[in-house]
Amino acid sequence: MTHAHTPARPMLRMSAALLGSAAFAALLAAGPAAAAETHGQAGAKAAAAHLAAGKEDDPVVLEAPAINPRRVYVNDPAHFASLTQQYVIDGDTARVVGMTDSGFLPNPVVASDGSFFGQVSTTFERISRGKRTDYIEIFDPKTYKPTADIELPNAPRFLVGTYPWMTALTPNNKTLLFYQFSPSPAVGVVDLASKKFSRTISVPDCYHVFPVTDQTFFMHCRDGSLLKVAMGADGKDETAKTEVFRKENEYLINHPAYSPKNGRLVWPTYTGKIFQADLSSGEAKFLPAIEAFTDEEKKAGWAPGGWQQVAYHRGSDRIFLLGDQRAQWKHKAPSRFVFVIDAKTGKRVKKIEFGRDIDSVGVSQDAKPQLYALSTGEKTLFIYDPETGKETAAVNQLGHGPQVITTADM
Amino acid sequence: MRSLILAAALAVAPVGAALAADPIEVVSEAPSGGAEVKIAKMKFQTPEVKVKAGETVTWTNTEALPHNVHFKPGAGLEKDLEGPMLRANQTFTVKFNTAGTYNYICTPHPFMTGKVVVE
Repeated sequence: MTHAHTPARPMLRMSAALLGSAAFAALLAAGPAAAAETHGQAGAKAAAAHLAAGKEDDPVVLEAPAINPRRVYVNDPAHFASLTQQYVIDGDTARVVGMTDSGFLPNPVVASDGSFFGQVSTTFERISRGKRTDYIEIFDPKTYKPTADIELPNAPRFLVGTYPWMTALTPNNKTLLFYQFSPSPAVGVVDLASKKFSRTISVPDCYHVFPVTDQTFFMHCRDGSLLKVAMGADGKDETAKTEVFRKENEYLINHPAYSPKNGRLVWPTYTGKIFQADLSSGEAKFLPAIEAFTDEEKKAGWAPGGWQQVAYHRGSDRIFLLGDQRAQWKHKAPSRFVFVIDAKTGKRVKKIEFGRDIDSVGVSQDAKPQLYALSTGEKTLFIYDPETGKETAAVNQLGHGPQVITTADM
Repeated sequence: MRSLILAAALAVAPVGAALAADPIEVVSEAPSGGAEVKIAKMKFQTPEVKVKAGETVTWTNTEALPHNVHFKPGAGLEKDLEGPMLRANQTFTVKFNTAGTYNYICTPHPFMTGKVVVE
């Protein structure tokens, strides 16, 4: 399989020097290599033609191609390593078009219009000990240069295996919200426009952050309700709980899917019961729950499992749920199948067999979406056509233990 | 000569200790008569207790899940006082020297909260 490794900055500069910048840039800009030809072969051919034409190499620092809904961010928490990386992948060409470095268990965010991406991260003055610094870093999506570095006071980050909705942007992309677990539950507010930490909002015993408007977000509470938080002017924030919508023994997974564009929250349980809430009005409207598996399938051991186990495609109103036959309490083990479910009717549309262990799924939000299937074990992102269920491309060598897929609903 | 210095130090020590007494201090053994708080079902069963200055509060974890008592800065307390994790039937006693309201949590379960009001 193609070794689609084209990192930004120093590595990219070296690659460009090796290939000849004009040839390399042309290769990056080009569409997918012909089926019989790998990216490497195409690059070699272009470099040979460049050399045969007597042209000289002129190494430059490249920029990423223009952003589109198929720009995929794959974060590698690297099994709790102190230093981590994020790979930026162009889904159309199945190529890595950039990388960024980060610290301990960063939380990635991507602007809904693709205009920037960033992360909330943590570093220590001696790799993994010494003075701790929590900070937010914002990157330009073409140059990968940082455009903001905002320090967070008193190391407030919740250090946890990466849950995407522990950090979120408001719809206008001007405010970043992040969760604090200890010493008490709270949400930190960061004003990206002025590049300053704003304040901390104390909240009840609730988790995750789902922004609905630029001033409102929801959380999920220990008692089984949602919490609505209205951020007021001058720090006068108001909170209110919804009805309890799930039973105590219905365990919601840590990786719900949420579409800020239509306010849909899709939240499966360990057994494949899928709760949905429509938050678009600013109030939580709970939709009828869906059962992803029949009683017979449940008896045969079918249940969701993996890391990012669920994805939601807004345009088609479809849910993609990772599932497999598994023993109880093996809910973090990967799955070999994805179940495509109509979110409105609950009807199963399709069952796609990956033929391999997949830990996380994602979906691009364009009209003919790509399905992204990430294998932490193989360190590879597989790209599927969800209509045909066929694998169309793959990108390998994505760090040590890649787990998180992020896309923008542009 | 050495014993004289030691004797002098011992004579001064109680006065110095009284002057520099921490608002709260961990006590190794629970004296009789102090307040008690049981920990069960992921809760401090008496989330608010009132004691007088100089009295103690003893926490007892009654369940298998470990819990602790973790005071946050405030009410004259300058630093966190993070008690050890208590396993089932283990206890932790604190003596309160200064009036005030002392809020605390369980470190791994920050939704478990309580307070001691010292009059």
